[in-house]
Amino acid sequence: MDNLNIGRHISGQFNEDLERIINHVMHMGGLVEKQLTDALTSVCDADEALAKQVIQNDYLVNSAEVSIDDECTRIIAKRQPAAGDLRLVMAIVKTITDLERIGDEAEKIANVTLESLTTQHKDLLANLDNLGRHVLTFLQATLDAFTRMDLDAAVKTHKSDDKIDREYEALMRQLMTYMMEDPRSIPQVMSVIWSARALERIGDRCQNICEYIIYFVKGKVVRHTTPEDVQAIL
Amino acid sequence: MISVTPKNLSAHNVKLDLNNLSPEQVALEIKNLDLYYGNKQALQNISMSIPKGQVTAFIGPSGCGKSTLLRCINRMNDLVDSCKITGQIKLNGENIFHRHTDVAALRRKVGMVFQRPNPFPKSIYENVVYGLRITGENNRRVLDEAVETSLRSAALWNEVKDRLHESALGLSGGQQQRLVIARAIAIEPEVLLLDEPTSALDPISTLTIEELINDLKQQFTVVIVTHNMQQAARVSDQTAFMYMGDLIEYSDTNTLFTTPRQKKTEDYITGRYG
Repeated sequence: MDNLNIGRHISGQFNEDLERIINHVMHMGGLVEKQLTDALTSVCDADEALAKQVIQNDYLVNSAEVSIDDECTRIIAKRQPAAGDLRLVMAIVKTITDLERIGDEAEKIANVTLESLTTQHKDLLANLDNLGRHVLTFLQATLDAFTRMDLDAAVKTHKSDDKIDREYEALMRQLMTYMMEDPRSIPQVMSVIWSARALERIGDRCQNICEYIIYFVKGKVVRHTTPEDVQAIL
Repeated sequence: MISVTPKNLSAHNVKLDLNNLSPEQVALEIKNLDLYYGNKQALQNISMSIPKGQVTAFIGPSGCGKSTLLRCINRMNDLVDSCKITGQIKLNGENIFHRHTDVAALRRKVGMVFQRPNPFPKSIYENVVYGLRITGENNRRVLDEAVETSLRSAALWNEVKDRLHESALGLSGGQQQRLVIARAIAIEPEVLLLDEPTSALDPISTLTIEELINDLKQQFTVVIVTHNMQQAARVSDQTAFMYMGDLIEYSDTNTLFTTPRQKKTEDYITGRYG
């Protein structure tokens, strides 16, 4: 947490407020990571009980977002943060929005598990496994970079989204082939497509979070740019 | 359909390159300014260009030299015996420290408002026209017009138009400060120096003055010293952060308060100073 440099304010209360918010974000990140892990496990193992648990627990992610948002609003009203402190609060407000959306995507994936599945459908879902594992690693690396506000890690992790996108496109091609070969499989394939789409979106959200880390550390906006541009801007 | 591009989004907030202002854009140019009170150096090699028609704020901890620098601009430090100044401040290209400079004429071009409202123990009307009377203006119509224009510019006209000949000392603190600003702008200076103009005022009067500062920059170049960082962030276009007589950072206010370049600036504006 050293990079955050939040412990040196003249106001000890301000230090405590910021530290508390950071801890809450980390806790929320852990929660989202668990939701995604469980959602992917529920799909791969066809574990309906676990899927139901993921759907049920989404409210925890939602309430964490609301409560951290509230704390950030209070900090802005009471402390009028500037410079690094302001960038930190803004980065947090945006990060928790993305984390909450990642939670929603995990819920969508869990919902697929609950659909009445045929054996063929289950085979299709196995295709998600690889993409799912990569997205999970991406999320973990992002949360790790956020915890340490590590610029290098954020820049490196930012690039991972390209890999996810390529994998997603390959999976799409594969699924389209299934549909063309056997149009009766279209309804089942569609549910796999929704899950794959959810995973791809999670990748985008992780990339956003990396951009907020870069904004906090360097004060530079790298949103809506390619990884090569990020390097040039920094 | 309006296309929204980053360029469009930032169009309302044109950033000046403070290091490369054209001569027409510069109101004041400070060059290698050193100032000593006796043996103590209070300002060290200050160089900066203050743009025309904008609000420039000086911030920094007590004793950093920001008021001293402000007072140099209309040579108020001449009144301090032990004060020695080297370097230049150019107003319209002319060094104000030149030995032939007419200090009274300089102060007509560079008006100043202090921390505590200091109206003269005269009527509201006489306070506003004081500067004009000194310059020999006695035409009633000219004076009446100046009173109304100045009081309107100072956002005070509606509150005092029915009692212009009552004592200025009967006004509230916020009104007195606006009266003093009206008095300063009645002689149509080019530059208006404000030395902590709201530190003795309540929050509502403070907001009125801040609103007024924003209006004043249409006509004058405003330089303000303030202890209140949020105020600098709200009212100024450029901010200079000073520390122990040095100019640490000078940039546009939006940049300084979100992404300062210097660590000292960051520490000060985030409350880590000390």
